[in-house]
Amino acid sequence: MTSLVVLHALRCVGFADLPRLAAATGLDPADVESELIDLAVAGQVTRTAGAFGGWGLTEAGRAADAERIAAELDAAGARPAVAGAYDRFLVLNPELLDLCTAWQLRSADGTLTPNDHTDAGYDARVLDRFTDFDRRAEAVCAELAAALPRFGRYRVRLAGALARARSGELDFLTDNLASYHIVWFQLHEDLLATLGIPR
Amino acid sequence: MRWIHRLAPETAATADVVGGKAHGLILLSRLGLPVPAGFVIGTEACRVYLRDGRLPAGLGAELAAAIAGLESGTGRTFGGPRRPLAVSVRSGAAQSMPGMMTTILNVGLTAAATAGLTGDARFARDARRRFEAGFAAATGDRPVPDDAMGQLELAVAAVFSSWNTPRARTYRELHGIRHDLGTAVIVQAMVFGNRDQQSGSGVAFSRDPNTGEPTPYGEVLFGHQGEDVVSGTAHTHPLPELAGREPAVWAGLRAAMRRVEEQYRDACYLEFTYEAGELWLLQVRPGRFAGPAAVRLATDLADEGLIGRAEAVLRVSPRHLRHTRRLAAAGDVFARGLGACPGAAAGRVATTADRACRMAADGPVILIRPETSPVDLPGLAAAAGVVTARGGPASHAAVVARAMGKPAVVGVAGLTVADGTVRAGGRTIPEGTSIAIDGTSGLVVLGSPPMTTTAADPHRHRLLRWADEISGDASPRPDADRLGAAHRHLTGDQENQSP
Repeated sequence: MTSLVVLHALRCVGFADLPRLAAATGLDPADVESELIDLAVAGQVTRTAGAFGGWGLTEAGRAADAERIAAELDAAGARPAVAGAYDRFLVLNPELLDLCTAWQLRSADGTLTPNDHTDAGYDARVLDRFTDFDRRAEAVCAELAAALPRFGRYRVRLAGALARARSGELDFLTDNLASYHIVWFQLHEDLLATLGIPR
Repeated sequence: MRWIHRLAPETAATADVVGGKAHGLILLSRLGLPVPAGFVIGTEACRVYLRDGRLPAGLGAELAAAIAGLESGTGRTFGGPRRPLAVSVRSGAAQSMPGMMTTILNVGLTAAATAGLTGDARFARDARRRFEAGFAAATGDRPVPDDAMGQLELAVAAVFSSWNTPRARTYRELHGIRHDLGTAVIVQAMVFGNRDQQSGSGVAFSRDPNTGEPTPYGEVLFGHQGEDVVSGTAHTHPLPELAGREPAVWAGLRAAMRRVEEQYRDACYLEFTYEAGELWLLQVRPGRFAGPAAVRLATDLADEGLIGRAEAVLRVSPRHLRHTRRLAAAGDVFARGLGACPGAAAGRVATTADRACRMAADGPVILIRPETSPVDLPGLAAAAGVVTARGGPASHAAVVARAMGKPAVVGVAGLTVADGTVRAGGRTIPEGTSIAIDGTSGLVVLGSPPMTTTAADPHRHRLLRWADEISGDASPRPDADRLGAAHRHLTGDQENQSP
C-alpha cells in the first residue's frame, strides 16, 4: 500500500526530491526512498540529476498509477463521494485563485502592482479571507478523507501552510513549494487523476 | 415604478441605484447610441430580496408592465410563438465585480418561442441550449418552467442570490466593497451575434491599452456570441478586421467611440454585438489604462484639447511610471493572450516541462502549455517565461508564474500544443523557435524583438516637463517625485479654491 501512496504522491506532486515527497505523504524519508527504489526497478519512476533534477514518473508509472488509483477508488466504493466533493472543490477553486492573486498583486490606480507586503493592514485582510476560505476548504477535505483516508493528508498540509503564513512566514500562501496554493494545486491534480478526468 | 428604471435618456438614477453597468447604458442612450431596449431592477430590490428571501411585493407587477413595454417597443412577444422576445438578465453592481455574479441569456425561450424563432432551426436549438445551460448553472438543477415570466422571475432571483456567493463575498472583502449594497439586474432584449454571417460580437478600446496609441484596439468574433471565446468554440480576430468585413458596423463603432471619448474626456472600453449588420452596444466604461499607456493617453488627450495639462498630470499616478520591461515594438505577433505577470522575456519554445529543463542548459526557454499541472513546475522554474492557452490572470499557472517572478501570458484563445509544435492563428511553429513574450500586454511575438524599459519614452518626458512647470521645480530628482510634487501642488490648490 505504501508503494501506491508514494507512486500517487509523485503523480500529483509532479516531480520532486525526497524531502518534498516525504512531506507530501507524511511518511519517513527512508521509507519513501526505499519505495522509490523499488518503483524505479519496476520502471515506474526515474530520477533525473542536475539543477532541476528529482524523482518523476515514467509513462509506465503514470499508467500503473491510473490503474491502481481507479481500482482503489472503486474497491472503496468511493467514486460517488469523491465526485461530489470534486464538484464542491470546483466551486472553491476560483475563489482560492482570487485570494492568491490578491496576495500577490494589488490593484491601485487601475494598475496591478506586486504586493510588496509593506501594508500590514492589507495583508491581514487577505490572510483573514484565507482563514475564512480554509474553513470551507476543510469541509470538502473532510468529505474526501471520509471517502478515502489518503486525502486526509491534504488537510494536514493546508492547515500547516496556513498556520505558518499566519505566524509570519508570508511565502507559505502562494510563493514556495509547500505553500497553500501548491498543496491545493496538487489536490486539484489528485482529484483529476483519481476520477480519471483529463486536464 | 418603484423598483424598475428604464434604460432610457430621461432616467436620472445614480450608479448606486441602478448599478454601474446600467448607468453606462443609460449614458449611451443619452448620447443617441444604439442600446438594446430594456430596463434595470434597482439595487434596493436586491437588498429586500436578500433580507426577506423573496422578491419584493409589487416587483412582479412591475416586471410584467416593463416586459409589456418591451413587447410593444420591439413588436415582439415574450415567450410567444410569433416574433418571440428573449431577454438577457445580467448583474450590475454600483462597483464593478467582474465575473463574480450570474448572467442568464435567452430568458423567455419557452418551447413555443423556440419554435417561433425564425431563421434556421439550428440557431433556434442552439439558443434554447444556451438558455438551459445558463439557467441550470444559475439556479441549480431546478426544472425550467415553460412560462416566460416564471423564467424571468427565477432568473432575477438567481442574479440577486449570486451577490452572496462566498466568492463574491471574498471579492468584496478584498476590494473594500460593502456587503449590504446588493446588485442591480439589467434585463434587455437579446441581440444575437450568432444570428447569421452578418452578425458577430466583440470588445473594443478606443485606443490601444498596451501603448496608449490613438488607434482602436480589441477583438471581434465573426458569427458568434462573446461567450463562445470562453468555451473555446470560436476564435477572435483583431478588431480592425471588422472594417473590411462590415464597413457600416465599423463606422458606427468608430463614431460611438468618438462620442463616448468626448463625453468621458478619456479613452473608453465598449462591448458590442452586431446582428444582421446592425450594431448594438452592451457595455461601456472608461479605458483605465496603466503604465506607459496611461502616460501616452494623458498627453494625447491634452494635445487634443479634451483635457488641460494639469488634468493630464493628475491622471497619471506615480505607479504608472514604474519601470517594467516590455517589448519595444509589437513585431510579428504570433498570438495574443492576457498578461498575467509583468515583464518581458525571449527564448526558444519548449512544449513540455521536461524539454524546458533540458533546453534551458543551452539558453533561455519559453514554456508553452495548454494549461499547467504540478508536473510543469520544474519546467516553469527552468524557463524564462510561460505561455498557457487556457486560464486567466487568476489561474494556477498565473499564481505560480508570479511566485517565481516569471513573465507570463495566459488565456491565449485558439492556441494549441501538440507533438512538439505550437499552433495559433493559422500558423504552426516547432519547438526551438525563437519567440518573445510581454507579460503586461499579453503579446507573443516571433523572433527576438528589442525590449525596453519605459525610461526613454518621449511622452513621459513631456508629461514630466508639464509636472515641473506646475510645481515650479525643475531640479533633477526621480520621475515619481517630479510627478508627486505636481500632484501635491494641484490638489493643494484645488482645496484652497473650493468654496
